[in-house]
This record gives sequence, structure tokens and C-alpha cells, in this order.
Amino acid sequence: MNLQLPPVGLEHYLFLAGVLFSISVAGIFLNRKNVILLLMCIELMLLAVNFNFVAFSHWLGNLDGQVFVFFILTVAAAEAAIGLAILVVLFRERRTINVEELDTMRG
Amino acid sequence: MIPTSLADFAIAAPEVTLLGVACVVLLLDLFIGESRRGWTFLATLLGLALTAFVTLYCAPADRTVALGGLYVADAVATVIKFAAIATMAVVLLYSRDYLSARGLLQGEYLVLALFVLLGVMVMASASSLLSMYMGIEIMALSAYGLVAFDRENPIAAESAMKYFVLGAIASGTLLYGISILYGVTGSFDLNAVQAGLEREVFFGGRHIGLLFGLAFIIVGVAFKFGAVPFHMWVPDVYHGAPTSVTLMLGSVPKLASFALAWRVLAEGLGPLSHEWHDMLVVLSVLSMVIGNIVAISQTNLKRMLAYSTISHVGFILLGILTANAEGYTAALYYTLTYVIMAAASFGMILLLSRQGFEADRIEDFKGLAQRSPWFAWMMLMVMMSTAGVPPFVGFFAKLYVIQAVLNAGMVWLALVAVLASVVGAYYYLRIVKVMFFDAPAERAPALGGSPAFRMVLSANSLAVLGLGVVNGPLIALCQQVIPH
Amino acid sequence: MFTTVLFYLFAAVLVGAAVGVVVARNPVHSALFLVLAFFNSAALWLLLQAEFLAIALVLVYVGAVMVLFLFVVMMLDVNVAALREGFARHAPLGLVVAGLMVVEMFQVLWVRRLGEPALLAHAQPAAVEAGVSNTKALGTLLYTQYAYPFQLAAVVLLIAIVAAIALTMRKRPGLKLQDVSKQVAVTKADRLRIIKVEAEKRP
Repeated sequence: MNLQLPPVGLEHYLFLAGVLFSISVAGIFLNRKNVILLLMCIELMLLAVNFNFVAFSHWLGNLDGQVFVFFILTVAAAEAAIGLAILVVLFRERRTINVEELDTMRG
Repeated sequence: MIPTSLADFAIAAPEVTLLGVACVVLLLDLFIGESRRGWTFLATLLGLALTAFVTLYCAPADRTVALGGLYVADAVATVIKFAAIATMAVVLLYSRDYLSARGLLQGEYLVLALFVLLGVMVMASASSLLSMYMGIEIMALSAYGLVAFDRENPIAAESAMKYFVLGAIASGTLLYGISILYGVTGSFDLNAVQAGLEREVFFGGRHIGLLFGLAFIIVGVAFKFGAVPFHMWVPDVYHGAPTSVTLMLGSVPKLASFALAWRVLAEGLGPLSHEWHDMLVVLSVLSMVIGNIVAISQTNLKRMLAYSTISHVGFILLGILTANAEGYTAALYYTLTYVIMAAASFGMILLLSRQGFEADRIEDFKGLAQRSPWFAWMMLMVMMSTAGVPPFVGFFAKLYVIQAVLNAGMVWLALVAVLASVVGAYYYLRIVKVMFFDAPAERAPALGGSPAFRMVLSANSLAVLGLGVVNGPLIALCQQVIPH
Repeated sequence: MFTTVLFYLFAAVLVGAAVGVVVARNPVHSALFLVLAFFNSAALWLLLQAEFLAIALVLVYVGAVMVLFLFVVMMLDVNVAALREGFARHAPLGLVVAGLMVVEMFQVLWVRRLGEPALLAHAQPAAVEAGVSNTKALGTLLYTQYAYPFQLAAVVLLIAIVAAIALTMRKRPGLKLQDVSKQVAVTKADRLRIIKVEAEKRP
């Protein structure tokens, strides 16, 4: 038996990134109540973006894309730290992280 | 072009100075006691003055691209930076009493404010999508921290959380768009992107992939502007944040949004202007109409001003979507004058607020004409200007934008803009009516504010009149800096 | 051929883990699924010859960011059951997202035409010269051409430190803490008081 898979090309990676991006967007819609899960979905979204950059960088043959990923990783780490800090402040004040209970402001 | 030594960073002298000032303030605050916070505050203001001086002194005569092609120094950048520094200084001056009355006048607050300004300046000088992204994040991360800064206030924490989540999602979409653009053009240097796209468009390659990436980038830009339908965060953040932070977020970052749109859309994605023009038309019309209509039903002044901001953003986008020098000039003029008006109107709320009293409801302005005729007249001028009544500066800002739109042959857009402004005039005039024809509340506290605060606020309000009567120099400056 | 099989293996686990993040009942499980997703991504990046980023992803994300997430999840006493309510109610939105997926499918279609001038020239992945380390090449770029954003990245981290500490550090009143320097600097005079007591006289 001679199984021949087509070679993995750029489009495979871009499709994978697209699927990841869609899952993260779906997660944002599905888990609208839980802020921690929202933060995790955002991390997933950035991972999808990074996939695009790394794949393009590989096929274009320039390292600029990888440099961009380096900076996205740095910023995402900082973002996670601040996001979790705000989450802690919120939890101390309200004893909840349920988004639907966060409706003090109307108009 | 590639930086090889520290001396190459001299071109970025304004940013370097500001970063130095922020570090000095951070350290200084550590060694200064709780009771002598005034010194930290003074050091911050002096640092801003120094940065402003360096910005003007080191501005190169011609457009210079440096630091590996990531930094551009040109006249637009200098104007935006100087305006941002001046606005930040005024904002901090207004905020001082408010902050110290609530125990928020801490070194960290000032440092984060300086970093917001640094982000704006980096964005103003970004000639690559990478430096633009870093600028956006520097500004946004500091802003998230500032909104949540009042830790005892649950509303502030809630609005910070909303701001953070929506902001992070917007960054993600913007990055996705940038990644596709990188795939098509092989670079994220804005000049190279432009060249790559021109080649692409020349070969007839307006394929769906580019549109896909462009749409993601527009979403990111629209979110940063707060344009409908990506405006959900604006009212909540304006309402929930401490008023001093609302004042800051309502003024300085608008300059950055203009820089973002100008650098990315006009310069980098210029060859695709035909495509983004249509998207901006939708954003602009929705912002003007929805912003003005929803603002009418608000009882909270901060919320009302938030919706009013959304409608003004519609006007700025209106200038940009013409995709010609006249439109960009009008948009820059609109942004600069809007920042002056926003600073004055939020400054007025700060003037009226006391310890334990926020003065952010419209009824708190009842009978201001009896309590303080001078500031009632000042507020009258600011509101008239924001509504677009001649001879105040807001009128000319709207006039130039509408003129640019008409010259570009989009008559129906100009009509929508005029109608939206007429609707908008209603809620500004309501505040005037409340101030002049309603009796003051029983226990309305007396107006406070240090003499410096009162003087700067008066000067700020009078500038709205002055710049309107003598409107030539500022518009001439805008025409001069925008390349034709 | 071997790398093709590896790609499909890692990609399948990655997508499965990503779905797990979204649908897991317990936030701790979600966080662990995310760790799995990051590991698989790192493996895929190795296939793309981005060795430095693959290692950085594991070190920074799995090692630091996810630990922070787990720490916060466990520190906050979150009522998980209440947060799961309405999951089924929001499920129809999955349809919307399925629509998004279709758009992504289109992405595959246009990728073939994507890089008319730019990408077509590189239908084959650019060959990496033997003996050139990815880390060294990235480092060379970072410290020369990208020195400016590198400095800005430092600013971003400083902001994260300042903001996170300003937001979460609190000085609780009445907390009993040791001050070591005070303890060391203590002198006899601080602790010892010599009192002259009159000797009692026998009556």
C-alpha cells in the first residue's frame, strides 16, 4: 500500500491558524460570562496570529515575521499580567467575575 | 538606516526624554514622603515642559526615516506630539485637586499618565506596523491601569475589565490583519507595504485576501477611535473611570487615533483607498447618527460626552475617508480643536466636583449662572463650540470637513453630517438651559479649584473663542504639515 | 512524508486542545488545555524552523503566563456552576462562528492566488543555510534593525510591572510584620530600662 499525502504547504498552516482564530472567537461568544475564560480565548487568538506570522516568515524566507512574533509574545505576557491584576481588583470589590453581573452602568 | 550606536537614537530625542522623565518620576516618588507628593507632581510638569522643548528643538527640517526604517520624524509627527504633550500637561493640572482629594495622587498615576503620552508619541512617529503596534500597546496597557486605578471603586474596576477585554480582542484582530498584509507584501514597513500594494493593485490583484486583511485592520482602527459599531466600550469607560482619567482618555488618545489612521490608512494602505473608503463611510455615518441620537437620552454628563465623542469621531473619519490632502487637513484640524474642547468640558466637571461629590450628572450644573457667572459663560462657549455654532472654533472644524466632503463630490454625506450636527446641538443647548434657567440645588457646594486651575481652564475656554475668531493660523499650519 | 504525518498529528491535537479550552467545565481544565495547545504549537513551529520562538513559547507561556493564570484561578474562589449557565443558550452563536469558519475556508482558496508577485516566487519554503542558527539570526536582527522596538518592549514590561503592582498591592492596616533591619539595629537602650528601686526597709 502506497499512501501518498500531499506535502504540507503554506495554506495548511494558514488554514490551521484560521481554525484556531475561529475557535477563539467562538469561545469569546460562548463564554461571555466568565472573564478568565475570555482572557484565555484572547491568548488563543494571539496564538493564531503568531501562526500566521511564523508560516509567512518561513515561506517568504525573511525573519521579520518571527521578530514580530517575538514582540507579540512580550506584549501578550504584559497584557496577561495587567488583565489578571484588573481581574483581582474586580473580584475583591464584587466577589464575582461573572460578566452578566457587571451591569452597574446603563444608558 | 540601521541603528548601530546609541547616538543613532538622537532622532528619537522626544521619546527618549519622556522615558527618562518617567523613570526619574518613578524613582523620585520612592524617596518622597506621602505628604510631599506635590514635588512629584511638579517634577512631572517640568518634565513635560522639557519634553515639549526637545520636541520642537530637535524637529528635523525634512521628513527623516531612521532607526531601521521604524521611526519617522516629520511635521505631522511634531504637531501631534506637541499637541499631545501640551494637552497632557493641562489634563494633569486639572486633575490635581480631584486626585489629591481622593488619595489618588500617587507617583504611579503620574508615571502611567506619562506612559500614555509616550505611546501616543511612538504612534505619531511610527513608520512601520511594528512600531505602530508597540505604540498602541504602550498607550492601551497604561490606560487599562489608569481606569482601574481607584481600587475602592467597583464601577471603575468593572469598566476597566470591559475596556481591557474589548481592547485585547481589537488588538488581536488588528494583528490578524497585519499578518495577512505581511504575507502579501513581505514586509510591515509602511513604505514597503505601500510599494508592495501598488505593485499588487497595478497587476489587478485586488483579491479577496487583501480585502480580508484590510477589513481586520479597519476593525482595529475603528475600535481605537471608538466608532460605531465598535463603540461599546466608550460610554462605559468614560462613565466608570475616575473623571480625571476620563478627561485624559477623552483628549490625548484622539490625537493618537488620528496618527494611526493617517499613517496606516493614508500612507501605508493608500493604494487600497478605494476599498477602505467604503468601509469608513459606513463607520462615519453610523457614528454621527447613533452618537448624536443616543446622547440625547443621557442623564449622566460623562456618558453624554462619551456619545458626543463618538459623533465627533464620525466627523474625523469623514475627513479621512475623502482620501485627499484637503480631507486629511480638515481631519487634523478637527482633531486638534476637538481635543481643546474636550479638555475644557471635562475640566469643567472636575472644577465642580468635590470630595465625595462627582458632579457628573447634568442636574449638577443647575443654576451655575448664579453660583459662578464667569464659569457658566465659559461652559456656554465650550458647549456652543462643541455643537458647532459660529464664531467658535468647533464651527470651523465642521465647516472644513464638510467642505472637503463636498469637494470630493459626496453631497449626501455632507447632508447627513449637517443633519447630525443639528440634532447634536439639542443636547448641548440643554446644558446651557440647565445652567442659566434652572435654580441651583439646595446643597450645591461652592466652586473650588486652585487659582492655577481656574486660570488655565478660563484660558482653555477662551481659546475656543479665540481660535474661532482668528482661525487662519491653525488651519494654515495643518495645510502646511500635510503633504500634498 | 514523516514531517507531513507529524504536522497532521500535532495539528489535530492542537485543534482538539483549543476546543477543550472553550468547552471545558472547569477553568483549571481550560488552562491545562491551553498549555497543551501551546506545547503543540511549539512543536509545529519547530517544523517551520522557528526554533527560538518555539522554545520561547514554552518558556514564556507555559512557564510563566499559564502559571499566572492557574494561580489566579485557584486564588479566586470562583463559582464555576453559575458561570456555566447559559452555555447552551449561547450555543446557537456557534452557528455564527461556523459561518466564520466558512470564511476561513475561503482563505485557503485565495492563498493559492495570495502572493502573486510576493509569494509565488517562494512556492517552495525558503531554504535555510546549514549551520545558521535561528537564534543567532533573530538576535542579530533584534539588536540591530529592531533595536528601537526592542527598547519599546522593555517599556511595555515596565508598564506591566508598575500597573500590576499599583493595582494589587495593598497595605492592610494592623498587619503584624517583622522589620528585620529594625530588629538588627536595636540597641540595649531600646529594650532595657534600669530602674532603681528603693530597698524596702524593715519596719
